Amino acid sequence: MFNAIVRIGATTINVARTFRDTLSFASTIILKMFNKNSYNSATRLVLVHQIYFTSVQILPLFIGISIIFGTLLMGIVLQIIKNLGLAEHLGRIIMDIVVTELAPFVTVLLIALRSSSAINAEIAVMKVNRELNTLDKFNIDAVDYLFLPRVINGVISVVLLSAFFSILVLTSGLLFSKLLFGLSLESYSNVLLSSANFYDIVLSLVKCCTFGFFITLIPIRFGLNATNDLTSIPISVLNGMVDVFIAIIFIEVLSLILIFI
Amino acid sequence: MLFEDEVTLGKALNDFTSQHKKNLGLVSLDVPLLSNLDVWVNIALIKQYHENLSADKAQKLVLSYLARYGLEDISNKRNPALTNRERFCAMLLRAAMVRDSMVVIDRPFTIIPDVQDDRFIYDTLKAVDDSYRECHIFDYLWSKDRYRMIDL
Repeated sequence: MFNAIVRIGATTINVARTFRDTLSFASTIILKMFNKNSYNSATRLVLVHQIYFTSVQILPLFIGISIIFGTLLMGIVLQIIKNLGLAEHLGRIIMDIVVTELAPFVTVLLIALRSSSAINAEIAVMKVNRELNTLDKFNIDAVDYLFLPRVINGVISVVLLSAFFSILVLTSGLLFSKLLFGLSLESYSNVLLSSANFYDIVLSLVKCCTFGFFITLIPIRFGLNATNDLTSIPISVLNGMVDVFIAIIFIEVLSLILIFI
Repeated sequence: MLFEDEVTLGKALNDFTSQHKKNLGLVSLDVPLLSNLDVWVNIALIKQYHENLSADKAQKLVLSYLARYGLEDISNKRNPALTNRERFCAMLLRAAMVRDSMVVIDRPFTIIPDVQDDRFIYDTLKAVDDSYRECHIFDYLWSKDRYRMIDL
């Protein structure tokens, strides 16, 4: 019994410590983000490369998934709306499901699977290879040069790809709304525009930014936890990715609570 | 500067690099090239970060320096693809990019183990001697015989 209590206590302390360290690291990055001295030709080049790796290279896969998954889902949702006789709420339901919930979630899952794991491994390898020592010896701030562009890229990529996902899925919704409800392009656009709520769009934007921020920040932090051993790399990636998924669920739940309030 | 053992050398190197941290251009296996960047980006990084030189200008500058060694073809290679000599040249050029550079070469023969004497090091330094202020070499006493051209 005593051992169980000790274990629960130790786990709680560990979780609290991880949470505190992540927030402390986040505050460092945010402060740097708003400091103009953090930006120079080198950081801009890293940012451009990161956006290319995260947002451009993923496009074929992303478009494929958006079209297949989004179209099927829109078909099912519109069929249910028709069966339940909720046609007058068509726009509201589509906007709530696609723009506010589905788009950020699918986007963040894809980017986390592809880029977060890569960032985590990259930073861990740099730590093991003493490449972070190189930056230090040449008076290059690793936060400015390595971490900040990756975090900014995370925010930009999730926002842009989420918007792109919404556009693709809403476009496929046009097809089904024509087939099931006989809506023209103009009527469909009017239904969507009249259902668009400023609060929902802001919430969706904030959610995307928060997702993008943490799915790049957490892997960086865990990459830095790697030791000098090669074997610490997979451990660092494993722990980092688990925390990324916990963060995604945590942010999603938080946003749902905000919607219900 | 020559030292008897690793501890003495390490301590002296540490003291020296701490004193000249601001304009230090260190060439050492402990300060490797970044393996996820091309050679030219590794070298250009110093000018881009500290002097905000644009990527285009920095690339041109790096290529002009690589041309002095006849190594323009390594500009798009990465660290693991380099030979020991190419790696040494890239590391030296990176060190020379520091403004008013105080180049410090830490045990050069550990970077270029296939080189027998200091002729290659001397020629490499001579080719870019307009780009650094001073150069210091730290090595072991027992390597003294390998230094014929450079006065330690």
